[in-house]
Amino acid sequence: MERYDVAIVGGGTSGLTALRQLANLGKQAVLLEAGNTPGTKNISGGILYSKKPKNGRVYNIEDVFGREFIDDAPYERPITQYILHATSKDKLYSIDLTPVHEYQINYAYSVLLSKLIPWLAKEASDMSEKMGGGIISGVHLRSVRWEQGNSDIVIDTDELEPFRVKALIAADGVNSELAEVTKARNKFSSEQLYQGVKVVIKLPETILEERFKVTSEEGAAHLFAGDVTMNHIGGGFLYTNRDTISLGAVYHMDSLMDNPIEPSRLIDTLIRNKLVAEFVKDRVPAKKSSQALISKDEEIRQHFMAVKLLKNWNNLRSEYYSRDGIKRLIESGKYGTKDEIESRIAFLENELVEKYNYEFGDNYVELEYSTKLIPDGKRCRMKAPYYKNILFVGDAAGRGVFVGPRIEGLNVGIDDAVRAANAVARSLDRNNFDEQYLGNFYTKSVEESPYTRDMKEIDKDYLKIFLDCSKNIPKDIVGSRYGMIFKLMSSGTLRGIAVGFANMLGFDRLLPLVESVDTYVNVPVELADRLGKTIDSNYVPTTPSLQERIAKLDYNDDSIPHIQVTKPRSEFMVKMASLCPTRCYSYENGNVILQHEGCIECGTCAYETLWRHPRGTKGVSYKYG
Amino acid sequence: MGRYDCMPVRPLNVGVIVKLEPDFSEGNVSYNPDGTLNRAETKNILGPHSAAATLAAFYCKVKYDAKVAIGTMGPPIANQALRQAQLISNADELHLYSDRIFAGADTLATAEVLRLGVSRMNNGLGADIVISGHRASDGETGQTGPQTAWKLGYPFIGNVIDFHIDQEGKSIYAKRFISLYGFYDVIEEIQAPLPVFISADPSYKPSFNTISERLSLARNLNEARNKADNFEKYLQVFNSEGLGADPRYVGLPGSPTIVYKVEKIPKAKAKRRVEFVDGNDTVKLDMVAKKLIQLMTEAPIK
Amino acid sequence: MSGVTQNSEPSTGDLARIESYQHLYVVIEHEEGIPVPVSLEMLGEARRLMDNFNVTYSSNEKVVAVVLGDNVRHLCQELIRFGADVVVYADNHSLKHYTNLLYTKIICQIAEDKNVARSISPNRFENYKKPRYMFFSADNTGRHLSSTVLAQLESGLASDINKLVISDLEIRHEHKTKGQPVKFEKTLEMYRPDFSGFLWTTILCLDNRNPVTAREYHPQSCSIIPGVFEPITKEDQRTGTIIDFEPQISDEDLRIKVLSRNIIKSTIDFESCKIIVSYGRGIRDSPEDNFKLIEQFARALNAEIGISLPISKRPYQTKDQHLLSYMIPERVVGTSGRKVSPVVYIAIGISGAVQHLAGMKESGFVVVINPDSDAAFRDECDIFIKGRLEEVLPTLTEHIKKHMLMIEKRA
Repeated sequence: MERYDVAIVGGGTSGLTALRQLANLGKQAVLLEAGNTPGTKNISGGILYSKKPKNGRVYNIEDVFGREFIDDAPYERPITQYILHATSKDKLYSIDLTPVHEYQINYAYSVLLSKLIPWLAKEASDMSEKMGGGIISGVHLRSVRWEQGNSDIVIDTDELEPFRVKALIAADGVNSELAEVTKARNKFSSEQLYQGVKVVIKLPETILEERFKVTSEEGAAHLFAGDVTMNHIGGGFLYTNRDTISLGAVYHMDSLMDNPIEPSRLIDTLIRNKLVAEFVKDRVPAKKSSQALISKDEEIRQHFMAVKLLKNWNNLRSEYYSRDGIKRLIESGKYGTKDEIESRIAFLENELVEKYNYEFGDNYVELEYSTKLIPDGKRCRMKAPYYKNILFVGDAAGRGVFVGPRIEGLNVGIDDAVRAANAVARSLDRNNFDEQYLGNFYTKSVEESPYTRDMKEIDKDYLKIFLDCSKNIPKDIVGSRYGMIFKLMSSGTLRGIAVGFANMLGFDRLLPLVESVDTYVNVPVELADRLGKTIDSNYVPTTPSLQERIAKLDYNDDSIPHIQVTKPRSEFMVKMASLCPTRCYSYENGNVILQHEGCIECGTCAYETLWRHPRGTKGVSYKYG
Repeated sequence: MGRYDCMPVRPLNVGVIVKLEPDFSEGNVSYNPDGTLNRAETKNILGPHSAAATLAAFYCKVKYDAKVAIGTMGPPIANQALRQAQLISNADELHLYSDRIFAGADTLATAEVLRLGVSRMNNGLGADIVISGHRASDGETGQTGPQTAWKLGYPFIGNVIDFHIDQEGKSIYAKRFISLYGFYDVIEEIQAPLPVFISADPSYKPSFNTISERLSLARNLNEARNKADNFEKYLQVFNSEGLGADPRYVGLPGSPTIVYKVEKIPKAKAKRRVEFVDGNDTVKLDMVAKKLIQLMTEAPIK
Repeated sequence: MSGVTQNSEPSTGDLARIESYQHLYVVIEHEEGIPVPVSLEMLGEARRLMDNFNVTYSSNEKVVAVVLGDNVRHLCQELIRFGADVVVYADNHSLKHYTNLLYTKIICQIAEDKNVARSISPNRFENYKKPRYMFFSADNTGRHLSSTVLAQLESGLASDINKLVISDLEIRHEHKTKGQPVKFEKTLEMYRPDFSGFLWTTILCLDNRNPVTAREYHPQSCSIIPGVFEPITKEDQRTGTIIDFEPQISDEDLRIKVLSRNIIKSTIDFESCKIIVSYGRGIRDSPEDNFKLIEQFARALNAEIGISLPISKRPYQTKDQHLLSYMIPERVVGTSGRKVSPVVYIAIGISGAVQHLAGMKESGFVVVINPDSDAAFRDECDIFIKGRLEEVLPTLTEHIKKHMLMIEKRA
């Protein structure tokens, strides 16, 4: 049996950080990723933060990947604006939360993981290969076991012969199979999770910059609460990428269980909010239904011609609306002036309209639909995130900082990964993988992380900045609901005491008050009704059907089903018929049945099913992430 | 032409013959108004079956540290097929057999050029195993591989889905997938001495089952990416003289077959126009039954 | 290049040349002791072509079947009944399973053997060199075998043919005829559909009549697509010549060995059936009973049964082993399964997801049975029967059986 020093399971940002950090320390490690290549099964909201806390330190991605990350990595945009909107029908009340967003940060970049992760993977594997390790894709972990006589972990996968390692880092996400097979922790329940549904929307670069009033070095983040949430606890987000937009809705899963609504409907509601609709609008071609009866052959021929024209129109327009695109086109010699390009675009449009029955109008272009579960670190972080000589990081350990408008998952996983890599390296040096030497050491390290502190207590300085931003909100809207506590919090002098008191009560008791329908729905709705501006929008976006969204995704179907329904009549499963983002479940004759078409492996149903990831290279592959 | 003995100490030499073909995927392919392929407007890529053959060569590289040479007969732009093949297989040598007198060749005349090319692969050592694709997406005859094999004097094994080489025993163990129309499918295991010529079944996918093989795979893929940026460095171009070809046996003169004419196949299929039938209407259902039987018993429209 | 059919007397020069190449050799494949269907189809077409040929050219050339194997003598008479005039067989233990090298060598030995030619045509064999025409099947074996045989015989091969005509053609070709119009007699026009399915390409195998590179190219050969031609109606009274050929096999040839042969559990043959009946989640109300109805319906139509992807995941709890055996991935029609194009496709209780449609939209005639008239399938069918399968199928099955009975009575 082959033997290696360290294995890392999961090729997301955390796993790749651990791989690179171990290589930085001269250690050999092998990373297993189930997708075809790293980055095909990762979703993020997403913004990647780099932080500099006042007390204590965290490890940021550039600490591991070097200055090269900031100079070369394909992140999307630095996020320089952070605005919260309270919504009620077509009225919006906006609060500038940029100071809150900038609290203790070095930078924040919007990211699309399918682009970012391959870069990280190359940087990590190049270094790791020098140490005799590397990344192995298309491999799915089946189980782990320990043999008599030594502490080595034997790893069984669906694709490879078994092999042994001295230590293992579990970076396999919120539905961690390592957690499952070792029973290191319970599955996360709906009180401990958020379900986030996201779409990536196309918007040409210069149009985006003009619309959001940002330069090429800037980006905007917009959050939404109020009636857009359809009475759920949580909110919507919109982040500007280079020439796309990440738009999503993240809700407490238990509020979804109380009031189940299909995720695709939730995102449609967000898209139809007038401000969002105006944000994502673009000029979009659509085929008119054909009146003429033409032969099948003729139809096929026309289809091919139209597809080609559309491709040319799209490419030319994307280039025209990209930074320096016009310059590039002229330099290529194909066009002499900007006017020529514009006429060509107009000509192509005309051809499509006159000859192929198309029309052009306002709409939006949706590129990809996805869903992800997010563990609420405040409620479900593993207190001792290890099992024997397996260390858990990031989502797999239930860790992430989600407090009000603060949404941080990626950076927490990265910090964990470095701490885990350091702990493992230390153990390799001493050849000691006992719980005392490895697991405990790692636990202590993680406890020292400022992120863990933020999962346990309120940071009063953060709170102050948040309150300052919201100082224009009429006290009566808020005060009537939170009364005394709010008064205490808003007073500068008493804040310290109030916060201390709150922290004594514990997040557990405070949270239900703060994370409530009042906070995320009623207060914002009232704010918008009373003080909001009316947004004008002269079009209603056509949202794709769920079938169309699924049809756009790439699947490599695994003939062996990876999910098994064990409780076809439970209350939880009945709700899955609504909460599965791709409608994999149907409720028939009192039983819940899994159809399995279009599963995107989010894990919403994992709590009461036998849930595993599909085998290596199988299942969904994301193009944007 | 002829066999020779492989020396066990030196590495395995692999040769691949590939073809540059039109890209038939939607959005890339272009058709003329009469439905024929518009070659001028359609991009060309390494054919998918050629890609499968290249993967088989890559398997040899990863597993046996083999030397890989890739050859193609075609016009100068066929070097794009070679570049793509190198990306897949981390090839060490790229051969382009190009000469105006090769034009108009049918499979027999093409096989003549290719067999001359193969014997010059791997620094003139030739190949212990030559791999071709199952067929080309445009010509679709599937004849060139076996005919090249015959001219080389190598036994031909087709539809290979899996194989491994016994370097000491100088033989190949190959698994073939055979579809017998009207019967069943068969997987056959066959043994043959090297040198040998195989064609990769379109479904061929190499599998690497240990960590060390997978790491070797990753290393080779990296090397391949680096090489492909600079692929001209690995490219040799051979014309007719360079190959020592006899002009009577290549190109049009060497081709027994010619294309006589091309015409449209008369097709009667019109756009589907739906007829709705009420499931309770027994009279209508009877008509449907009659129609089904009529279609069933009619001679097949071919 | 133009074609002209003529029926003139051959000159003595032509006579000498004609007699070097005679007869149509058909390479037969067999499995489990019987000829594979395409072999009989090829014999049928060979028979039709040569009957015509012999009338047109007043000659007496033969259809010669060639069979290799271990214990194949019993096949010979059957092949004669299906149209062969002569059967040449080579019986040897080493030929039990097809291997390319050995089979190619022996077929070429047979093709060029003058003794065989004498047994076929005792009066006209002196100049015999090679067959005039040769047929192979366009399947896994035949494609490769034909390629290597023709490489050895150094002549032309066209593959995947679905139409054949023998005629005299006047051809003007820059190379073959040095630009001059030349008459090529008894030329086999071999038609093959191209990759797009729109075009028919006609291939000819022609001698080089260009004095600079003069060369003779025979046999004119092709591999034939299964399922295109029809075998002749078997004639039990037909007689012919059977020739036992002693193959020459060297030790070197035997180094290629078939080590094992595993039949994969019989695959669902969607290719050769004319009607496919598929079902989907519409059976959910009562899976076992509904499936029985579907099976009866399919049997009446002699149809193979397909399923939609969700069914292959076995969403229904059932102990019915028979039903379970039909809910397997091999039966899925769609992008995750098989692409089919039967003459008739009938979809029962399937809504018409994009992935399913992609797998069957090349079908000739499409019938959908579904109670929901808004189902997506309505855009991809010729007849949409709005109704529940429990009600529609029994009625349809009955009507079909009734009509089939009438047809059989008439026959």
